[in-house]
Amino acid sequence: MNAASAIPTVDLTRNHANEGGAVRIAVKGLNFYYGSFHGLKNVDINFHDRQVTALIGPSGCGKSTLLRCFNRIYSLYPEQRAEGQILLDGQNVLDPSVDLNDLRARIGMVFQKPTPFPMSIYDNVAFGLRLYEKLPKSELDGRVEQALRKSALWDEVKDKLRQAGTGLSGGQQQRLCIARTVAQSPEVILFDEPTSALDPISTGRIEELIEQLRDEFTIVIVTHNMQQAARISQFTAFMYLGELIEFGPTNRMFMNPVEQRTQDYITGRFG
Amino acid sequence: MDASNPMTISDAAPRRSGRVRQSRRVADRVLRTACLIATVVGAVVLGSILLMLIVQGVRGFTPAMFMHPTPGPGSEGGGIANAILGSLVLTGIGITIATPIGVMAGTYLAEYGRFSKIAGLIRFLNDILLSAPSILIGLFVYTLMVRPMGTYSGWAGGVALAIIAVPVIVRTTEDMMRLVPGTLREAGAALGAPPSTVIISVTWRAASAGIVTGIILALARIAGETAPLLFTALNNNSWFSPDLMGGVANLPVMIYQFALSPYPNWQSLAWAGALLITATILVLSIIARLVIKPQMSR
Repeated sequence: MNAASAIPTVDLTRNHANEGGAVRIAVKGLNFYYGSFHGLKNVDINFHDRQVTALIGPSGCGKSTLLRCFNRIYSLYPEQRAEGQILLDGQNVLDPSVDLNDLRARIGMVFQKPTPFPMSIYDNVAFGLRLYEKLPKSELDGRVEQALRKSALWDEVKDKLRQAGTGLSGGQQQRLCIARTVAQSPEVILFDEPTSALDPISTGRIEELIEQLRDEFTIVIVTHNMQQAARISQFTAFMYLGELIEFGPTNRMFMNPVEQRTQDYITGRFG
Repeated sequence: MDASNPMTISDAAPRRSGRVRQSRRVADRVLRTACLIATVVGAVVLGSILLMLIVQGVRGFTPAMFMHPTPGPGSEGGGIANAILGSLVLTGIGITIATPIGVMAGTYLAEYGRFSKIAGLIRFLNDILLSAPSILIGLFVYTLMVRPMGTYSGWAGGVALAIIAVPVIVRTTEDMMRLVPGTLREAGAALGAPPSTVIISVTWRAASAGIVTGIILALARIAGETAPLLFTALNNNSWFSPDLMGGVANLPVMIYQFALSPYPNWQSLAWAGALLITATILVLSIIARLVIKPQMSR
């Protein structure tokens, strides 16, 4: 709710209908370069507080690139750079003075392939918590349990918290990664095709989970699965060749897209 | 199912693909035979070396060899206890110096220096060092330590072995850390962990079995090195002394000297020492395999 203070600085009418929660992240004139390749071209888009926004588009359209800008994870690679503004609660996260580790604690990320660390389930979830706080064991235990409960994994792992996280099934590993992110109490969670490596049942559970997490977190999800976007998101952005083609409430985007290219893509004519 | 079908297929097959098929079959047979011959030759050579080593080595391989120091010229009996102990100490010094340097340098190449030109240069030099003749390293340490200090010493021997072990450890550490998926590093960074934490808690941990294997293989490599010790630790025919500022007995140099000697008991001890080193390297290699196995099957 404190995000409300950010509203006046953001032009809500620019690309889309003003619906849902307040704007949490405002992207303005964002350009991204992989060396000399222009990966994102002048993207303007707003993400709403405690809503799920899906980024869709054919491979190579820049949706993952956009996602990777929010926590500046691209900065691990020296040839990649972003220009423009990404305002999180009014602060430009692309500003070099922003502390990266602090930013990444506020914006969590879940990857396409599950990435459990080579340590116990407990230590995986506690990893982020131990980075900056020295918590007494009882409180750490509590936070780990809470995160695992929020990620719908607690009942399956409560008796084997000391076992290796890598021994879990793919779907469980992905929920473990979500728990690890949730444990840090971020404001935003980024999902980069979180279910594309999972079977349908695990996918269903992750989708349910994202639905629940929406109560607490602002969620941005990249997906290749149009049905998934339609099922779980409130807003959808369609990207193509590094540009944002259309953005709006998911219902309208799928029922009544304005742009011909959006229409073509969601009806499967290209992609 | 029906007898006629296979007939028609075998009739039609040569016609359809003609000569190509036949020549491929011949090529396959030739290659297979060549590979088999090469394997047999290699195995026979290796097998006869091992067989000779065992036959000759077993005679001198007695409990006494672990209890007595090397005998003087012309004297009876004796053992190689001082050389065994000396070799343990020298290899110990070598691996203790080489491990931190090798692991750190390998980590630099795999992590911090991933995109830098200097890292490329270091990697290139390391590869040269990896294949440098070991006698050169012995001479280098001779000039660096033995000459200024005025004496052959165990320390110099240890340093020479370390210089041989470092490039092996650098290479395996870098290779093993590169095998760790980039997404794991990204996941660590995405939680707000600084690079040092990601390396220590995630990458090292994920690559630990491979890194340990590299260290064990380096240990096996330096355990049998002779040339670098000739100019540095040399030898010592008396009991091992804790003072490493003099010559230190060791298995490879002992084998070199005793094998060339006219005394039968010396020659037999040289064989026994050679068998001991080979067995040790074999055991180290097996340990290395056992260490890496659980990781590979994961």
